[in-house]
Amino acid sequence: MQSTQINTANNPDNASDNNSIKKIVVVGGGIAGWLTAGRIAARHKSGTEEGVSVVLIESPGISAMGVGEGTWPTMRSTLIALGINETDFIRECNATFKQGAKFSKWVDGTDNDFYYHPLVLPQGFSKGDLAAYWLAKEQQSKVNSFSNEVCFQEAICEKGLAPKTIRTPEFDAIANYAYHLDSVKFADFLQKHCIKKLGVTYISDNVVSVNSAKDGDITSLLTKNNGDISGDLFVDCTGFSSLLLGKHYQIPFKSCKDILFIDTALAIQVAYDDEDSPIASHTLSTAQEAGWIWDIGLQHRRGVGYVYSSKHSSEEHAREILAQYVGDKFDNASVRKIPINSGHREKFWQNNCVAVGLSAGFLEPLEASALVLVELSAKMISEQLPVTRSSMDIIAKRFNETFLYRWDKIIDFLKLHYILSKRVDNSFWSENRDPNSIPQSLKDLMALWQHRSPTDNDFNSNNEIFPAASYQYVLYGMGFKSDYSHAPHLLNDWHYANQQFAQNKKLTVTAISNLPTNRELLKKVKQYGFTHL
Amino acid sequence: MANLVAVDSKSHKDIKINNTLVEAHGKNLHLVPAVLAEFTHIALQQPIVLTKNGETGQFVCAGMFGFEEGENLFWQNQQWQGLYLPLQIQRQPFFIGEVPIQPGKEIKRENDDFLVCIDTNSPAISTTEGESLFSAKGEETPYFKQAKNCLVQIIQGELDNQMLIEQLQEMVLIQPISLEITFINKKQTRLNGLYTIDKEKLAALNHEKIFKLHQLGLLLPIHIMIASLGQIYSLIDKKNKQLAHN
Repeated sequence: MQSTQINTANNPDNASDNNSIKKIVVVGGGIAGWLTAGRIAARHKSGTEEGVSVVLIESPGISAMGVGEGTWPTMRSTLIALGINETDFIRECNATFKQGAKFSKWVDGTDNDFYYHPLVLPQGFSKGDLAAYWLAKEQQSKVNSFSNEVCFQEAICEKGLAPKTIRTPEFDAIANYAYHLDSVKFADFLQKHCIKKLGVTYISDNVVSVNSAKDGDITSLLTKNNGDISGDLFVDCTGFSSLLLGKHYQIPFKSCKDILFIDTALAIQVAYDDEDSPIASHTLSTAQEAGWIWDIGLQHRRGVGYVYSSKHSSEEHAREILAQYVGDKFDNASVRKIPINSGHREKFWQNNCVAVGLSAGFLEPLEASALVLVELSAKMISEQLPVTRSSMDIIAKRFNETFLYRWDKIIDFLKLHYILSKRVDNSFWSENRDPNSIPQSLKDLMALWQHRSPTDNDFNSNNEIFPAASYQYVLYGMGFKSDYSHAPHLLNDWHYANQQFAQNKKLTVTAISNLPTNRELLKKVKQYGFTHL
Repeated sequence: MANLVAVDSKSHKDIKINNTLVEAHGKNLHLVPAVLAEFTHIALQQPIVLTKNGETGQFVCAGMFGFEEGENLFWQNQQWQGLYLPLQIQRQPFFIGEVPIQPGKEIKRENDDFLVCIDTNSPAISTTEGESLFSAKGEETPYFKQAKNCLVQIIQGELDNQMLIEQLQEMVLIQPISLEITFINKKQTRLNGLYTIDKEKLAALNHEKIFKLHQLGLLLPIHIMIASLGQIYSLIDKKNKQLAHN
């Protein structure tokens, strides 16, 4: 041992060993903090001698945001990467299966105005695009909605069915799915798992100040009771307070409230009638005068909230709208008001500090983008964790480029839902369609789609967040028409298209006759659990 | 639909059980649950596989009697053609049950552990032909004692099976069976939802684990399961003969 040490010290080529990245300090113990700590710890074998050590500092007494959360199917691979068992997760986080979102009253506000953004890709999507054929069929006669004609998932959701059966192995799907989860319980669950199974060191303490080196790197954080906590990389998961990236490094915040107007949420928890009440297996999003209402079914209750623009509605009126939606169970006193400051930091990784979660930015929860950005950030940090300080700036630059791109794409995609609306009941909707409020990147895409459907070639980055299929579901769900009349030759394979439409009908019938209800499956998971294969 | 009622010497003194019709309970079953104690008997003619209970999703051991739902290749000419009748069929029409206790009515519990019930809708029940449950004096007949013994074996067997499946899962020894079969009529079938033991993983277990399986008495049933898979070929043969015959 001793000779090795002497060798290292004597060899100037090994100087970089002195600043190898061996200790990660995560500040903040919400979902963002634990997910990031967990992914780094799982990949880099924290708790072993040769591994990278991960320390998480959480301020005692600071509560997480704690609204019901929607996730993306990526959450399944995240849980797998953390070594979590799906049955435990569902049992302990009141989680339910989510198969996409149903958007009601977004187009004209009438009662039968709705469309789905399911999680299963359109039938045969990788082999041939059905959108043009569906548009042509629709022009000639009344056909099923786009999502119904090309995907079997809407039918499953409309019947309240689950995406799999109790015989399906854990994390496997019959229909692609994500989860709805109780975020407070999920943070607790992750904490236990990270400490017990992944070797993350937990310190409950307040960060008092930041100690920096000459080059601006953070060397340590001074805590109230545990002295200086040193580290090689610091992850800022301090929520809206953005303690390190925002307060310490003064990285400016880039607001996008000129594009997305929503700035307030009123959230409430709603009990089920009884323990057998159906649980929707999709997120309900119902447009209102100055925003929209989310409705997420967990195992033991629903989480409901009205997100609106305070410029276009008074709080009092917003409460009335929420009360009307919730009905008898509404209790004005238990409504929580949460400000939404839509936007993100101008960069996310500065020196040896990277922000994940609300400290990096936040947007209205329209397509559940918050947790997926946390997952993607945690994944990239853990997979690309620099070995030495000297390579960190390269990773930081790439991280910043990747995530700036992703934020922009999410903003575009959220805005898409607003510009396609034809609602006229409040200036909230007409102002949303004002070209000045639409990013140029989205205008460009809309110009292309005048004459053809979205394809994956429209999104050519490795860091794409929404596939072309998602744009198709929203565009054609909301009544947008791509005009193929200039190029009828593109519709040259009706045989293939009809085969796919027929296949989708077949899959729909099979799925509906074999799947249990969401509630039934959840009860079985609680009683028996999923097997591993 | 089964209608289970507790067996008692007064209500059931006149009924008889027709054994030939008991066998008919299995005529439409392609998978019959099997307990460890009968593995040696089943493996004589059928593959023993793992499958998932439709209700609970949990693994269960089963003898394989056919390739698709409703097909039992060992039921031919209105008769059971196999050498051995699995306990799950032998036990018909008796079940172990919980019946709500009615005040004033005494229900006899076996060893205070379980209650013997009879499915009054079973076609094997008759008043004329077959074996009686009780003698004229109201005492249990040797036949009924044997029937109850069969239930005891099932109860014990379920515990053994559970132990086997727990260990197989813990040691990650289960793998799906992937097999595509073409019958003589050119019809293809793919076996779905069936699992067996992963031989390579079994061979790679360390001393400690192998010793544990041995101590728990599980090495023998594991090897019987592996060896019994060869019976798939005799099942294919049976099916082909049936197809040729028709």
